[in-house]
Amino acid sequence: MRDALLAILILGTLTQPAQSQMDYYGRLGVTWSTKLMRDGLVQEIEVKPSLAPTVTLGASLPIAPTYRAGLEASFTSSGYHSTELDVQSDLGTLRTGSLLLNLEGPVAGQLFWRAGVGLIGYWPADDQGIFLQGGAARFLAGAGVDYRPPLLRNWDLMFSLRYDFHRFTTDELQTRGFTGSQGVQRLSASVGLARARR
Amino acid sequence: MKIPVGVPILFILIAGLSCADIASPSRNDAYEWRLIQATGPGTTDTLAFHWPRSRLPVKIWVQDTLNLPADVQSGVDKWKAAFLYGEFDGVTVADSNVADVVVRLGPVLKVEADAIDLHGAAPECEGGTSFDLPPGSSELQVPIRIFINPRFDPASPGVDQCLALTATHELGHALGIFTHSPNATDIMYFDPAVSELSSSDRSTAELAYHTAADLTVAER
Repeated sequence: MRDALLAILILGTLTQPAQSQMDYYGRLGVTWSTKLMRDGLVQEIEVKPSLAPTVTLGASLPIAPTYRAGLEASFTSSGYHSTELDVQSDLGTLRTGSLLLNLEGPVAGQLFWRAGVGLIGYWPADDQGIFLQGGAARFLAGAGVDYRPPLLRNWDLMFSLRYDFHRFTTDELQTRGFTGSQGVQRLSASVGLARARR
Repeated sequence: MKIPVGVPILFILIAGLSCADIASPSRNDAYEWRLIQATGPGTTDTLAFHWPRSRLPVKIWVQDTLNLPADVQSGVDKWKAAFLYGEFDGVTVADSNVADVVVRLGPVLKVEADAIDLHGAAPECEGGTSFDLPPGSSELQVPIRIFINPRFDPASPGVDQCLALTATHELGHALGIFTHSPNATDIMYFDPAVSELSSSDRSTAELAYHTAADLTVAER
């Protein structure tokens, strides 16, 4: 019992400076994506997510005098559709979740850059069509910039632009004879609050 | 060392832009699905049909006997799964008066004088799909009628499976696959023996739903 108390005390002492330097934030925004796939079936068909409302949560810790390492999780939910001869057909709802391990550094003043790698998951509302065998998980690389003007004593506003890239395919597409994967690029813009680093 | 901000962004942009697209399959295993009708001496007409998206889900009434409702639902699910872009969907309805497709147990009846009749025959049962296309019209009348008929006592071995695969086969006709596959491994073979759709069946259905239709379907 005494050992356990001692351990908790030591852990608390060790994590206190880390907590005080931890940066955390939350943002709301929108994400735009390029096509998920194309199919040369009679006419060209493309499948693409619609503009997606996005929630982002993240945290980082300093790892060097000017650099920080952090985790950023983003969630999107939107419709997705196919387009053939300029005719769009609704395919249902598609959710994505991504987790990026980021390196972050200053650009100038309140402007910061970040770049990282991670994973993205696709969760369709219904297992049908290209998602007949379920969603997909893929590696992801991303980068972006944050602008953080002070808002309150302990909080900054946070304006962020993000770009990320991954290659998309699903088990169903592979079963159906599609080969390779589709390069998918996403851009997002968001605004939120971040704990001040001052 | 301070990393210039442009480096990671440029790296990812180049990686993203330099990669090739996904490659789609050829679907060259598809078979002819259109109905080629003689229209006069030495002349033919090729008829293609698929349900337009505006009519989905297709309303299907099924006679509640033997295992027919479950067999038809299974067939609808199989055909729905053949498509990648939501081209087909079907739902069973309680009233045959609102149905686009009516499925009954019994011998194939020629209900309309000008009907296009498509038949499938496995050893233990038979099926038929009847389309009503008035002379000179390019508008199919609804309902499309499907008949499924056991050749022996329904409790006999193999009849249950035969009814199930025949239901899927006849639904394939009702979807717009007007002809039979020349391959015994396909559900649309005239004497179907398999219970699942083959790659050829899927490719054919996909092509049928992405090729312009010559026939439309009347409002119910």
